[in-house]
Amino acid sequence: MLHTDAPGNTRQNGRWSSIVLIVKMLLTVAWRNLLRNRRRSVIVFISIVVGITAVMFNDGLSIGMISQMLENSIGSHVSHIQIHAKGFNDNRVIQNNMATPSEVENVLRDTPGIAHWSPRVVSFGLLSSALNSSGGVIVGVDPEREQDVTTIRRSIVEGSYLTGAPREVVIARRLADKLQVGLGDKVVGMASALSGDVGSDLFRVTGIFETVSSEFDKAYMFTSIDNARSMLELEDRVLEYAVIVRDINEVEDIAASLRSKLGDEYEVLTYIDLLPILVSQVDMYQSMMYVVYLIIALAMIFGIINTMLMSVFERIQEFGVLMAIGMRVRRIFLMVLLEAGMLGVLGTAVGLLLGSGLLLLFSHIGIDFSIFSEGLTSFGVGAVIYPRLTPDTILNVLIIIPLTTVLGAVYPAVRAMRLQPVAAIRYV
Amino acid sequence: MEVIRLENVEKTYSDNGVPVHALRGIDLRITQGEFTVIAGPSGSGKTTLLNIMGALDRASKGKVFLEKESIGEKSRDEISAFRLEKLGFVFQAYNLIPVLTAMENVEFTMMLLGIDEKQRRDRAREVLRELDIEELANKRPNEMSGGQQQRVAVARAIVNNPSIILADEPTANLDSATGANLLDLMEKMNRDHNLTFIFSSHDRQVIDRARRLIILKDGLIAEDRNGSAEA
Repeated sequence: MLHTDAPGNTRQNGRWSSIVLIVKMLLTVAWRNLLRNRRRSVIVFISIVVGITAVMFNDGLSIGMISQMLENSIGSHVSHIQIHAKGFNDNRVIQNNMATPSEVENVLRDTPGIAHWSPRVVSFGLLSSALNSSGGVIVGVDPEREQDVTTIRRSIVEGSYLTGAPREVVIARRLADKLQVGLGDKVVGMASALSGDVGSDLFRVTGIFETVSSEFDKAYMFTSIDNARSMLELEDRVLEYAVIVRDINEVEDIAASLRSKLGDEYEVLTYIDLLPILVSQVDMYQSMMYVVYLIIALAMIFGIINTMLMSVFERIQEFGVLMAIGMRVRRIFLMVLLEAGMLGVLGTAVGLLLGSGLLLLFSHIGIDFSIFSEGLTSFGVGAVIYPRLTPDTILNVLIIIPLTTVLGAVYPAVRAMRLQPVAAIRYV
Repeated sequence: MEVIRLENVEKTYSDNGVPVHALRGIDLRITQGEFTVIAGPSGSGKTTLLNIMGALDRASKGKVFLEKESIGEKSRDEISAFRLEKLGFVFQAYNLIPVLTAMENVEFTMMLLGIDEKQRRDRAREVLRELDIEELANKRPNEMSGGQQQRVAVARAIVNNPSIILADEPTANLDSATGANLLDLMEKMNRDHNLTFIFSSHDRQVIDRARRLIILKDGLIAEDRNGSAEA
């Protein structure tokens, strides 16, 4: 008999299982509707995939570039933490020196989290060769310790790194070019000595280094700390300790610990204090990325609105019938959102895979921007940029893109919802 | 038992600012098990009347009672629920959901009611079997003829065991033999299950089968007579 087990006589599901059932049904219908006009769905899908891949690549490239700028600055000279006598950073004169370096070194040895440290004598002065002269920075270092703190040893392109021998210097490529000196040539350094007199010494170039920062390479010359001390009458005094920590995320904690141990006579500065412009650039780039996301999202929203409106207008009669047979308008609204949401989720999944794959690949092989090398070196980046895939990029894409596609479908869904069944059924 | 009552129902449309009086004061009672045809010339108001009886459209004036409940004060959601549970519709252009198979089209309204899959399947299969279209279960509308689609539409209309089936020109797109078959089927449903059928049609073969014939003219009932089919 037709009516014996008709719906009116059968048990209906509970509220939640009904919701699950309806969502499942709406998903089925939404999915098949997407397949109904495959060409249109594929075009939207591809635009989402391409949009995500492009935004991820742009994000990864920017993060890679900023990170390289920061790491290059830290690696070439700045290090994670610098310790000076109080006031040195604001007034970099030789008189602001640390008279009892052993006190600082004991603290450095006893502080956990520190990987390497190196004492330095830093002085600003005049460098002269037989053919030219230039202002520059003479840095006296402990060659053994410094190689664990900076990348200078790895940046030697001619000659060799410091051995600790008297009067040897390694000089940056661009500075060497300006002074027109090569290996074995003499360079005279002059700077204010501790007494206030002009201290000077004759050095011989034993190595030439080249970093990715043209600004750094225009000014720096390294010698052994003993040479520098001798020239500047510093005896065993130190002007700067450069510190590398094991985990960069702990740099603030370690700096705080050093401050409390060393007291007010010293200043302990992290790379964030020492590179304020670069750090603010990092923040600025991150803000810019949100603007890029916003632009992509806006473009995507209008694409989705257009597509879903077309889809809704093509199915006006169908929506009328759905309403006539008892489908609530909220469910029709949901169905349109689900269609767009499905495209968004699928596009996001594929775009994320493609974008992540590309970023991972290029994070290993790098992208050669040699044609822009002059500009990039002035920013301290280097000609080869290694993009980076970060959890933030993945999270941004995962949240922003599906949300955007659903938002784009709201207006078409509202249009579908507002249809009157009689008019919709008659619509041709 | 009374399933529909209309009291002085009027419907006025605005056509570019010009009021069009589609219905001018209809009083009507439909009881359970009727096989009624609303006929009349084009523009007489028969589809408008059917739409108002099916709660697809609201009356401009007057009262409409479906199963003794006034639908005038019901919200859009309440009316949707009412249509889902109490009414079945058969349209001239079949209007099946093109992305769903025949079985899924029939199941669709049961899904809206939240009936679980096994019950839904069993019930849909039973209805398709009764309408002799079980072999179409897995076909989509574009794989079926007009007559087959209209049978599936009838299956969809009756599957929730509604009180009333409203059919707007159901044979208009069918050849006469297919139309006759469909009407045979609807008569059988009416006879076997006491389902109330209300047609809006100007098709002679539909009018000839009416057990009650309501003829509209200029938005008014010009004639309301029983026993047309027997005549």
